[in-house]
Amino acid sequence: MKTPRLLRNKIAVAGLVLIVLYLLISVVSLFWLPFDPLNMDAEQILQPPSFVTGHLFGTDEFGRDILSRIMKGTSVSFIISVSATALGALIGIFMGVWAGYLGGKADNIIMRIADILFSFPSLLLAIFIMAILGEHTYNVVLAIGIVYIPQFARISRGSIIALKGNEFIRAAKSNGAGRTYILIHHLLPNITAPLIVQISLSLSTAILLESALSFLGLGVQPPNPSWGNMLSSARKVMMFAPWTAVYPGLAIVLLVLGFNLLGDGLRDILDPRLRNVR
Amino acid sequence: MKKRNLFVLCTVLVVLVAVSSAFAAGVAEQAPAAQKSQTLTIGVSQEAVGLDPHIVTAFSSMRRLDLLYNRLVRLDENMQVVPDLAESWEIPNNLTYIFHLRKGVKFHNGREMTADDVKYSLERVLDPATASPGRSYISTISKIEVVDAYTVKLTLSSPLASLLDALTSNNISIVPREAVQEHGNLQRVAVGTGPYMLKEWVVDNSMTLVKNPNYFEAGLPKSDQVIFRVIPEEASLYAGVRSGNLDLATINDGATIRQAKADKNVVVMSKPGMNVRVFSFNNQKKPFDDIRVRQAVALALNRSEILTMAEYGMGATTGPIPISAKVWAIPPDQLPLGKTDYAKAKQLLADAGYPNGFAFDIVCSSTYEGGLAVAQVIQNQLKNIGLTANLDVVEWGNYIDRWAKRDFATMVELRGGSSEPDRFLYRSLHSTGGVNNFMFKDAETDALLELGREQTDPAQRKATYDKVQVVLSEKAPLVFLYSPNENQVTSPYVEGFKQIGNGSLYYVTHAQVIK
Amino acid sequence: MGKYIIKRLLSLVPVLIGVSLIVFFLVRMIPGSALQMYMGTQVEATPEQMEELKRLFGEDKPIPVLYIEWVGDLLKGDFGYSLRTGRPVLPDILNRLPISLELTLYSLILALLIGIPLGVLSSLRQNTFGDFFNRVVGLIGLSLPQFWLAALMVIAFSNSQGWIPMGNYVSLLENPLKNLKMFFLPSLAIGFGFAAVVMRYTRNSMLEVLQMDYVRTARAKGLPYRKVIIVHALKNAILPVITVTGFNAGYLLGGSIVIEEVFALPGMGRLALYAINQRDYPVIQAIVLVIATLFVLVNLITDLVYALADPRIRLVDEKR
Repeated sequence: MKTPRLLRNKIAVAGLVLIVLYLLISVVSLFWLPFDPLNMDAEQILQPPSFVTGHLFGTDEFGRDILSRIMKGTSVSFIISVSATALGALIGIFMGVWAGYLGGKADNIIMRIADILFSFPSLLLAIFIMAILGEHTYNVVLAIGIVYIPQFARISRGSIIALKGNEFIRAAKSNGAGRTYILIHHLLPNITAPLIVQISLSLSTAILLESALSFLGLGVQPPNPSWGNMLSSARKVMMFAPWTAVYPGLAIVLLVLGFNLLGDGLRDILDPRLRNVR
Repeated sequence: MKKRNLFVLCTVLVVLVAVSSAFAAGVAEQAPAAQKSQTLTIGVSQEAVGLDPHIVTAFSSMRRLDLLYNRLVRLDENMQVVPDLAESWEIPNNLTYIFHLRKGVKFHNGREMTADDVKYSLERVLDPATASPGRSYISTISKIEVVDAYTVKLTLSSPLASLLDALTSNNISIVPREAVQEHGNLQRVAVGTGPYMLKEWVVDNSMTLVKNPNYFEAGLPKSDQVIFRVIPEEASLYAGVRSGNLDLATINDGATIRQAKADKNVVVMSKPGMNVRVFSFNNQKKPFDDIRVRQAVALALNRSEILTMAEYGMGATTGPIPISAKVWAIPPDQLPLGKTDYAKAKQLLADAGYPNGFAFDIVCSSTYEGGLAVAQVIQNQLKNIGLTANLDVVEWGNYIDRWAKRDFATMVELRGGSSEPDRFLYRSLHSTGGVNNFMFKDAETDALLELGREQTDPAQRKATYDKVQVVLSEKAPLVFLYSPNENQVTSPYVEGFKQIGNGSLYYVTHAQVIK
Repeated sequence: MGKYIIKRLLSLVPVLIGVSLIVFFLVRMIPGSALQMYMGTQVEATPEQMEELKRLFGEDKPIPVLYIEWVGDLLKGDFGYSLRTGRPVLPDILNRLPISLELTLYSLILALLIGIPLGVLSSLRQNTFGDFFNRVVGLIGLSLPQFWLAALMVIAFSNSQGWIPMGNYVSLLENPLKNLKMFFLPSLAIGFGFAAVVMRYTRNSMLEVLQMDYVRTARAKGLPYRKVIIVHALKNAILPVITVTGFNAGYLLGGSIVIEEVFALPGMGRLALYAINQRDYPVIQAIVLVIATLFVLVNLITDLVYALADPRIRLVDEKR
C-alpha cells in the first residue's frame, strides 16, 4: 500500500510525533507520576533540577515537583484545547454553513453576530467572558470556544459560497435534490480541507490562550497545575530560579509546535496549489 | 496610477501614527536632560489612584501623600506619636484636646497654615458628603474650635483613646480650603504643606515631585527631586534597583526579597509590619457557628509553618494585636489555643459532631492580599485533622464582592492593623464594627472593646486589652496568623531612609543618594 | 470609491450601537463593583456616606436609566469620568492609544521584515533543508507564549539600559532613538510569532505565483532571475499577505495587552486590563468603543489597500 500522503509530508509527521508523545505522557500521568504534584515540602523549596533529589525539573516555591506538575498539566491542556475547539467549531461551522447557503438576510444577521464577536481581540474577549462567568476550568473552555466561533464561521461560509455556484450543485438541484440533502452530501464533504487546517491551528492557539488566561490569573486555578498558572507563579521567582519558568514554557512550546507543524503539513497536502513547483 | 495611490495610503498611515504620537508627547514625561544627582527614584508596583487625602483608600495613594501633606501628628520610626504640624498638645480631660500649631508653615501655594485650616480639614473629613474613609477614625469629635490663629480645641462626645493615633492617618491630612474650592477635589492636584510638591504626573508611568523650599523642618528634605516609577512586576522592581535605574523600591513578595537579601548589590530593609494575615470564619455559617469547630481549626494551624511556606519566614507570628505593637501585643504561643495540638483538635471536632471531619471552601485570591499561598498551606495542614478544604480561588474584584456580601465560609485575608489596638480591633470585632465581616457578635468582646476605647489610664487599658486578646483567642472568630515584614530594597548609595513599620515613606524626606 | 468609503464608515454606527449595548450590560454582570473595591476590606462608612458614595459611583439608579444617560452624554462628547481615578475618560485613553498603536505597528513591521524575506527564500528552495528549517523556525515563533518570551527578555535585558521601558516611556517625537530602542524588544515579542504567519503566506503565495505562465514567460525571455522574482512574482504574491495582516490586526492588538503589562508600557491594553480588574465601567465602555472603531477602520484600510494594489478587484458592494 502506498504510504498515505500525510505520512510522506515530513513536517506533518514531525508534528504528529510531538502530539503522540504528549498524548502518551497524558495517559501515563493518569496512572503514575514521579511525585505527588500537590505535595508541599518545606525542605525542598525552589530546588534546581538534579538527579540526586529526584526532581528532574526542580521544585517550585512550595517544594512541589515541577516535572510531575507538568505531566499532570498535560491532560488539562488537551482537554481544554480539544473541548474549546470542538465547541467553537461546531457552533461556528453551523452558523457559517447556513449563512453561506441561505444567503440574503440570514447571512447578514449571522455574520453580523460573528463580526461583533470578531471585533474584539481574542484575549480581551476571553478575559471579559471569564470575568463574567467566573474562574473555573469549564468556563475557560466556554470562553475560548466562543472566541473561535467567528473564525470557523467565516471559513465555512467562504467555502460554501465558493462552492455554491459549482456545476454539480446546480445539477443536483435540477435533479430535485432537497436543500438539506445537498448540504450534507455535496457541500459539507468538500469544505473539510480548510476546516481541518483551521482545527489543528485552533488546537494550538487554544493552549496558548489558556496559558495566557492562567497567566493573568483567570484560567485553571492553583493548586491544580496548568502550564499557564505554573508560569504565573514562576513569574516572581524566575529571575533566580529560572527552571520554574523554563520547563513549563517549553512544555507549552513543544505541544503547540506539534499542532502547528501538523496544521502546516496538512495545509501543504490539502492545498492543490502547493504541489511541488520545481 | 494605482501604485501611487498605494504609496499615498501608506504615507497617510505612517503620518497618522506619528501625529498621534505627538498627542502623547504633549502629556508625556519631559525626559530630564541631565539627571540631577539629587534625584531619588522610587519604584512602586501600583499607580496612585488619586491624591485627595480625605478621599483615597488605596495604599498606593497613601505613599505619595506621605510626602505631599502633613497631619497634626505623625508616627516616628518607633511607631510613637510625635509632633507634625502640631508642636505640642494638652489633654485636660478625656473629652478635650488642645493642639498648638507651628508658626510659619506654608502651603505649596505660599499661604501660611493656621488653625482655620485645621478646622476646615477636620470638618471636611467629618462631613458625610465627603464620604471620607477617615471619618470613622474621628467620629466622636463633636466640636472644633479655633481658639486663636495657632490653637485648635477639639471636643469629643465620648472618650476616644485612639484619637491621637487616628490623627496620624494620611486621611486626616491638613489641606487649604481654597484649593478644594478651586478644584472641587484634590484628586489630581497637590496643595499641602509637605516636604515635596507635585511637579508632573504621567499616569501609569511616573510622578515627579520637587523639593518644597518652604518646608518647615530645617534641612529637609534632603533630595531635590523624587520620582515615582510605576513598574507592575516586583521582580522588575528588584532588577531596577540592582541596575541603578531605581534607588528604592517597596517589595512584598517573599521570594524576591529572599533573593535580594543574598545579593550584595542591594540593601534590604526588613521590619515587622502592621498588617496581619488572618484566616477568617463566617461565624454565622455552619459548621463554623460552633465554637468547638473554630477552636479545632485554630489548634490545627501551625503559624510558623505557614509563615515559612507562604512568606519565606519573613514576618513574625502574631495574636490579635500585631506583634510589632510591642507595648500591647501578647505573643500567640502565650495565648489560648496558641500551640498546635492535633489530638485535642480532633476531639473537639468529634464533640461537635464531626468525628470524620467535613469539607468546606476557602475563599482566596492570587493577589498578594488574597493570600493564595497561605490558603494552600492551610489546606495542607487541615488534612491532619481530617478536614478537606477546597480552594475557591477568585479574581480580586470577585473576592471583594464575596467579602462585602459575607458570602464565604472561610477566607484568607490581609488586614491592616495599627499600633493602637482600638483603631484596629473595634471596627473588626465589635458587633457594630464596619469591617466585621466575620459576623461575630459577642457581648463579652463588645463590653471589653467599649471599655478599652474609653479608658485613658495606660495601665487600665493594658489590662483591658490583655483580656481582649485572651477572649478573642479563646472564642476564635478568626485565627490571627502572622504579620508580614515591611520590605524595602534600596541601592547601597541611598542614605538616611528609615522604615516606620506601616509602609509609610515619610523618611524619604531624610534620604538622599550619595555617589 | 468615495461613496464606498462613506458607506463603510456609516456601517460603524450599528456596530457601535450593538457593541455599546452589549458591553454596558455585560460588564455589570461581572461580580464586584468599583465602589466595593474602593472600600476594600478596611473602610467603614455610615449609611449616609454610603448613599453619597453610591451616587458618586453611579449605583443609585436602575441600569437602563444609566445606559440612556450614558448614551446621552456620549452624544454630547462626554465620555464620563473614571470611577477609580475620577479623571475624564477619553483623554486618558487617547493618550495611551498611540503607544499601543506604535507597539502594534512596530510588531507588524518587524514581522514583515522577518517574514517576507524568509518566505520568499523558502518558496525558492521548496522542500529543501533550508525550506524546512525556515518553516520550523517560523512555527516555533508562532508557538512561543508571548508573555513567556517577554518575561525571559525582561530577565535577560534587565541589566542593560534602555532596552526595557519600565516606567521610562518617552515618545517618538521627543527622543526617537530611545523610543525605538525601548519598543524593540516588546515588538519582537509580538512580531516574532506573527512573522511565522507572514512567512507562510508569503511562501504559499510565491509558490502559486511562480507557477504562473507570465513568470515562466519572463524567465524564458531571459530576464535576470532576481529581477523576475522581485519585480514580478513578489509584487503579485504580496496581496494575501496584506489581507492576512489586516485580519490579524486583532491578534496583534490583543497581544499587546500582556506585553504592555510585562514590559510596563503605559498603553491601552494595560488600561483595559486594569479597568476590567477594577470594574471601572466608564473606562471599559469607552475602550471597547474605541477598539471596535479601530477594527472597522483597520478592516476598511485593509480593503482599500487590497483594492488599490490589485487592479482586478473592484470595490463593488460585495456580498462579504
